[in-house]
Amino acid sequence: MSDYKSNGNGNSRRYVSRPKFCQFCADKNLAIDYKNVDLMTRFINETGKIRPRRQTGTCARHQREVAKAIKNARHIALIPFEGDIYYDPNA
Amino acid sequence: MHTYELVYILQADLDEATLNGLTETIENLIKSANGEILKVDRWGKRRLAYPIRKMTEGYYVLLTFKLDPAEVANLRRTLGYNEQILRSIVVRPE
Repeated sequence: MSDYKSNGNGNSRRYVSRPKFCQFCADKNLAIDYKNVDLMTRFINETGKIRPRRQTGTCARHQREVAKAIKNARHIALIPFEGDIYYDPNA
Repeated sequence: MHTYELVYILQADLDEATLNGLTETIENLIKSANGEILKVDRWGKRRLAYPIRKMTEGYYVLLTFKLDPAEVANLRRTLGYNEQILRSIVVRPE
């Protein structure tokens, strides 16, 4: 995986910092659960898209599980298909 | 028999009695198929991340149960027929 991301100018590159380890491999107690809204929102960007592995540092196996969990969470309207999440002041 | 987990969203504008009636109906659905209810967790009213059938709120219930795998397709279908259930999801927990 590349740590560099093109900024659109072609020749110049911008460094994007990212965690260098998979947080699910590092912490076995951290379960990937579609019902855990706070965890799921860490893996989507502000437009609601699933964040790539190069940004989150998740390993291939866990990224597959995260992607599946996000799709489940979207289905039951816990996180949006598109757009920002709304934080319920009562929740 | 496998352990499953069901999350369903009911219309939030129903009164308490109707809500209780519906949750009971769903539990009976599982019991009548020789299933076993392990846990019921009512999350209560929540704002939906996006509107479903023009509704912005839903009443969430999480149900853990044991059921014969052959009966699961049947359960999913029956849940889909009920108009007061906005969404439902049946998964095997890890």
